[in-house]
Amino acid sequence: MISSLPRETIISIVLFAVVWQIMSYLAPSLGIPAFAIPGLGRIAESLTKITPLDVAVTLGRVLLSLVVSFVIGLLVAVLMYLSGSVEKYLRPMVRILMAVPVVSWILFAVLWFKGVEFRIVFVLVVVCAPVFTVDALDNMREVSRDLKQMIRSFRPTPLQFFHKLMLPAITPGIITSWKITLSLAIRVVTIAELVGAVTGIGHQLSVAQELFSVADVFAWTLVLVILLFLLEALLVQLETRVLRWRA
Amino acid sequence: MSGLSAPIEISGLSKVFRQTTSGQSIVAIDQLTLRIDPGELVAIVGKTGCGKSTLFDLLIGLEHPTAGSITIGTKTPYDDFNAFRGKIATIFQQDRLFPWRSALDNVKLPLELIGIAEDVQQERAMTWLKRLGLEKFANAYPRELSGGMRQRVAIARAFAVQPEILLADESFSALDEVTANELRKTFVELAREFKSTAILITHQLEEAMAVGDRIVVFGKSATLLADIRMMDWDRADYPLLREGIQNTLQANAPDPRLRR
Repeated sequence: MISSLPRETIISIVLFAVVWQIMSYLAPSLGIPAFAIPGLGRIAESLTKITPLDVAVTLGRVLLSLVVSFVIGLLVAVLMYLSGSVEKYLRPMVRILMAVPVVSWILFAVLWFKGVEFRIVFVLVVVCAPVFTVDALDNMREVSRDLKQMIRSFRPTPLQFFHKLMLPAITPGIITSWKITLSLAIRVVTIAELVGAVTGIGHQLSVAQELFSVADVFAWTLVLVILLFLLEALLVQLETRVLRWRA
Repeated sequence: MSGLSAPIEISGLSKVFRQTTSGQSIVAIDQLTLRIDPGELVAIVGKTGCGKSTLFDLLIGLEHPTAGSITIGTKTPYDDFNAFRGKIATIFQQDRLFPWRSALDNVKLPLELIGIAEDVQQERAMTWLKRLGLEKFANAYPRELSGGMRQRVAIARAFAVQPEILLADESFSALDEVTANELRKTFVELAREFKSTAILITHQLEEAMAVGDRIVVFGKSATLLADIRMMDWDRADYPLLREGIQNTLQANAPDPRLRR
């Protein structure tokens, strides 16, 4: 995988590591506590202590929430596409949902719900579903009028119209939407897990913060970033496969 | 293909569009009356904006008339929309293929919509691709095909459903002349072979004369300027006929020489 990275990317990562190591070395002489900028060796040691279960739990929460968000988001988009009146009522609500800060949703979730898992899924869904809705609706509107007229001339059922035309036509947009929400969900799940969760990367970050362990925070953050990159790479693979007709 | 048993009766048909911005009314079709018999190959010719494409949309059933009616047997294509599933097929100016489907899958599309068994779909779509000389390109995506090849796929898609009525809107006018001539010939051959009632809408007089057994000339708002049966004319008189239709299209009134 590393060999497939562009040379500039590798150089920039190596440079960052070197600068970090130098800063770590110089920190005590600059009056900065040694724990604030741990050396690469210390961070590597923290990386060896990463618990796969927490990574799996976070990953599971993200994927489950994204699937639920996608289904809800798409259904709402279809309803809005089919009915102008429904759209007039739902669009302001969707916009309001998108404008509410994530922290507010976390506070609402803590105040409204008891179960930790439900809280986390709720926050992720309420943040990601509107993004899917808006993207899917915009993509449906952009489907070629000519193609719509062509398929309608063959008199499809409403289900066939969506299945044969709309879904394949909006697939490129949906994949882009997944890329955006994936990055969003990874960031949001971490914050949601900071509050109340007893498992997951967010929880581990919270523990690291309580222990004043910058090395652990760095290590868990690194895992999170790598996780995001891996998931994005999988999406790109899927995109190449599904959209090979565009090549 | 069974062929259409009832004529297409267009009676006092009008279509008026109201512009949303200015509120002005545009009369696209004004009191058109026309009868098309089963198995006829009719070319409707008229200048751009004369209401040809509006008539096309009404015949497909995607628009409702403001007044008058189109009846086929006892049904109308717009009110009894689903009654015509699998009975009307269309060929548009652009191929309108789904870019995410291979040529074969594009031909299969209307067969899927009418619920034909998968193995029959495959066999019939392949037969039509072979018929149009595209069997080697069955798995090619539209972007991998030339304009002429894509339009062939569109023709295969229309015929694969074995329609009673075939509607073609400027279907060959976006192609180069050689390809267009070739496809016009194929279109006529297939329409005759399968006894489809075929209506070709075009702004090109030459095309109308090359395809139609009957040429219907539209003026503004689909006013019927001339209705000519080609069998009434000797080939030797075609130049006179062409000139007469051209004069009619220019003057927007029938040339007396067209009367037979």
